[in-house]
Amino acid sequence: MKSISLYVDNGTYLTKLHPYTKLLYVMTAIAVSVIIGNIWGFVIFIGLSLLALTSGKVLKKTFPLITFSFTIILVIFIIHGMFYHENENVLFQIWKLTFYKEGVLYATKIGLNVLNMLLAFAVFVLTTKPDILVEEMEKSGFSPKFGYVVSSVFQIIPEMTGTMNTIMDAQKSRGMETEGNLMTRAKAFLPLISPVVMSSLINTRERAIALEVRGFGVKRKKTYLREFKKQKQDWILMVVFLMAILASAVWKVIVCLL
Amino acid sequence: MNKLFKTKLDAACIVLIPVCIGINYLGKLFASVLKLPLWLDGIGTCIGATLGGPIIGAIVGAANNIIYGLTTGDNITLIYALTSVGIGLAVGIMARLGFMETFLKALITSVVVGLVAVVISTPLNVLFWGGTTGNVWGDALFAATQSAGMPVFLGSLLDEVVVDVPDKIITLTIAFLVLKGLPTKLISMYNADEKIESLD
Repeated sequence: MKSISLYVDNGTYLTKLHPYTKLLYVMTAIAVSVIIGNIWGFVIFIGLSLLALTSGKVLKKTFPLITFSFTIILVIFIIHGMFYHENENVLFQIWKLTFYKEGVLYATKIGLNVLNMLLAFAVFVLTTKPDILVEEMEKSGFSPKFGYVVSSVFQIIPEMTGTMNTIMDAQKSRGMETEGNLMTRAKAFLPLISPVVMSSLINTRERAIALEVRGFGVKRKKTYLREFKKQKQDWILMVVFLMAILASAVWKVIVCLL
Repeated sequence: MNKLFKTKLDAACIVLIPVCIGINYLGKLFASVLKLPLWLDGIGTCIGATLGGPIIGAIVGAANNIIYGLTTGDNITLIYALTSVGIGLAVGIMARLGFMETFLKALITSVVVGLVAVVISTPLNVLFWGGTTGNVWGDALFAATQSAGMPVFLGSLLDEVVVDVPDKIITLTIAFLVLKGLPTKLISMYNADEKIESLD
């Protein structure tokens, strides 16, 4: 069964950091660059994220994640480059299409913001095991029910995709068309999805009974199999990140007052 | 009012949440395998909200986007958790009011839900994507409104209406058909109004 998690288990220092430290980095990267508000803020944090990804040996895994958003960023460039309402100064012309300076600048800002968020988040997602994150959240007070929901999704989705492939083959062997014009493809949607949805909903009954039998609803303090303690470097990094957010906020206030 | 939001949080309802998230995922997957120009990633949220009520719907919506964020590394979907929560709440409330019983009533629900999604998504689109939605047809319309000199917000609103309302109509139609096919034995597990009779 293929896992849907993006976690890469390569034992680098990033995987050994506490999940909360990495989450705080994501928040810092987004908050500080938005507070600063000019292009350089984004560039600095994009650089930092790239550095972290390279040193964590997961840079290669990052590109598939961002390629998806590139098409959208491209659309933003085209639409705002040509039609942004403050457009005045012509930047360049291709054939009959005119791109304006203001629109392109606006699109650059949006694009960098998106890229910054994606990269910062990649640092977190690629180096954090979902199980550990869920367990740490339970330890800091989240309900175990919430923990169950998150960790079971990671099991259920590969299971359901497996069922889906079976059903797709079964329906195809009965002669159902899954390719062709829009109408044919739309017609194929319901016969494909309803068996999976039905069967998985019906399975919930058994799963609920199985969980009840194993004491899922018991209201006692539970113990944990793994220990994952915050280390010295976690504390140092957390303080640095918080200082950075604070410093940028103070800087912004000073700039506004002057 | 209390009855509207009454929620059971027993094992049955907790188990429903990951399954609904799985259904959302499959809807999205099938839509992309069949190259349909819609998202169809809210079927599970609608089913969960109808069965378990608005609170379960909201939890499914929020958890759905958070987990997408974790698995695809695309944290922009995290922000759209707000939209999903809105959809879950809206479907749940409509279902508790009895608007999921017949097909016509489900259609009314779908329009309401579509509009809720538009109202929440549009500011997010403007804020994060400069008004585009990432859907070909909607973005073509957005480009047209921008070249006609309309404000970004209005263009983005139209962009969302064109994409979201048909999407939600089809999503709720599918959810309605699935729900009609489920055995009563299963549906009764989620009934929040049931009372346990004691023989003592």
